[in-house]
Amino acid sequence: MNDVAVIGAGMTVFQRRLKETGKELSYLATKMALEEAGITKKDIDMVVMGSAPDAFDGIHQKGENLLDGAAGAGKPYVRVFNGGGTGVFAPIAGWWHVASGVADIALVVCEEKMGNCYPHPQTAFRHIWDPILDRPLAPNLVWLFAMEMNRYMTKYNIKKEDIARVAVKNKRNAVGHPCAQLPDEKITIEDVLNSEMMAWPVQRLDISPPSDGASALIFCSKDKVRQFTDDPVWVDGVGWNIDSTMWTNRDLSFPRYVANAARMAYKMAGIHNPRKEIDFAEPYDPFDYKELHHMEGLLLCNKGEAPILTREGVTERDGNMPMCPSGGLMGVGNPIAATMGQKICELYWQLAGKAGKRQIPTDPQVGVGQAWGDIMQMATVAVLRRG
Amino acid sequence: MTFLEKQTDPTTPMHWNGDMQADYFYSNGVAGDKFFKHLMKKDTFLASECPKCGVIFIPPRLYCEDCFCDIPDENWMEVKSQGIIRANTTAMIDAHGDPLEEPVIMALIDIDETDGAMLGRVKTEILDMDLCGLTVKAVLRPKNEREGTMKDILYYEPY
Repeated sequence: MNDVAVIGAGMTVFQRRLKETGKELSYLATKMALEEAGITKKDIDMVVMGSAPDAFDGIHQKGENLLDGAAGAGKPYVRVFNGGGTGVFAPIAGWWHVASGVADIALVVCEEKMGNCYPHPQTAFRHIWDPILDRPLAPNLVWLFAMEMNRYMTKYNIKKEDIARVAVKNKRNAVGHPCAQLPDEKITIEDVLNSEMMAWPVQRLDISPPSDGASALIFCSKDKVRQFTDDPVWVDGVGWNIDSTMWTNRDLSFPRYVANAARMAYKMAGIHNPRKEIDFAEPYDPFDYKELHHMEGLLLCNKGEAPILTREGVTERDGNMPMCPSGGLMGVGNPIAATMGQKICELYWQLAGKAGKRQIPTDPQVGVGQAWGDIMQMATVAVLRRG
Repeated sequence: MTFLEKQTDPTTPMHWNGDMQADYFYSNGVAGDKFFKHLMKKDTFLASECPKCGVIFIPPRLYCEDCFCDIPDENWMEVKSQGIIRANTTAMIDAHGDPLEEPVIMALIDIDETDGAMLGRVKTEILDMDLCGLTVKAVLRPKNEREGTMKDILYYEPY
């Protein structure tokens, strides 16, 4: 396999119901990444588009619709999609375009325009369930994740305030992120605990909001990278794993599929002790409890230990193991696939020293990003390293 | 960044209203037919046991996804339509964020004598939000009204 570096990234502002179309959002993010890398469309060999269910944008086979805004017209182009896992799976697909040697420079664009779906994008989730067993009961995703959160809290005797602490940390971390939808410098644990009860134990401020946005990333082969930078950021390892769709037959207290994906990525990256060798992480945080769940799934602490480390300040931006220094989905927003911007672009910006006000002060060398999707079953993981 | 104004009203930008209308028939499948035909006549569930690893699936399946082998007819069994709540939520709002007329309790119920769980709605006078560990049994439609779908299980209640 060829070594693969990141040479540029871009990200639009995340907001609910933007005027721009999906392809216009793709264009804006792509243009930023091209400018950061110092290249043009003609330098791109292949393009990967990541975008989640067609039902959000309301365009069947939306990959083709987004094509021209993603610099894909006239090029080898493919859309990949595995629900919420897409934001890290699309860069994994971009990585293998270059690692395999079929491309020297690959562009990855992730787009989501959830605002098209009216009155609320949750409507699109009505049709992801098993049509025989689940759909007649009319569940929705918030209810489902509420049960997983309950299971996690019950198994490890976790208090709600220790979960709310993640929402507070990430919304504060998002202050200063130019794309952030929900930064809040003054938010407190009490604000989260006093917010509207949606589906016990999930409250309004436990959840990231639906959003529109796009992000882009450019990968380059080792052979060409010195043309663009003397201090590259490398993709050291990737992993992905999916658990059974029979989710009712699984214990929901620990995401074993995240651990499987993490082990795959760590093995490729030569990481033997992730707790010591990884400096920071961007675990997927569409709900506050998911950051804790995924921190454990990524093997960065023991089962049930993530809330304790969070309480002790270990996961703050200036702590020993910062989590979601970008502000994550909780603070920056959750346009599903486009969260590549927080999960992988952020690793690149942090490792390249380009994270501005969000920069981790301890000169991080290795970071891991992760996404999560489908019906609590898909995990996608990537490890990036500086120099 | 090119745009920073906030908007939450979807009708603010110029737009066109559309939908993605399509209607479907979903077949129950071979295992599903067997499960629901049984449920139309009896007040119990059917489960199926993998002949290799011994995992007992509910809802029953034709094959084991781990051993990747057939589950023969003789490995199907009748189990009680009852179990223990492993996780639950009490929903106050619907998928659109609108308040529900009355809260809905949805639970994952570990079905006795099996390795699986069923998703179901729960009705109870218990006021606690957290119902984990509660033993519940299925309340089914009257037999002459059963249609062979999940809606034949009206809800679960404590026993």
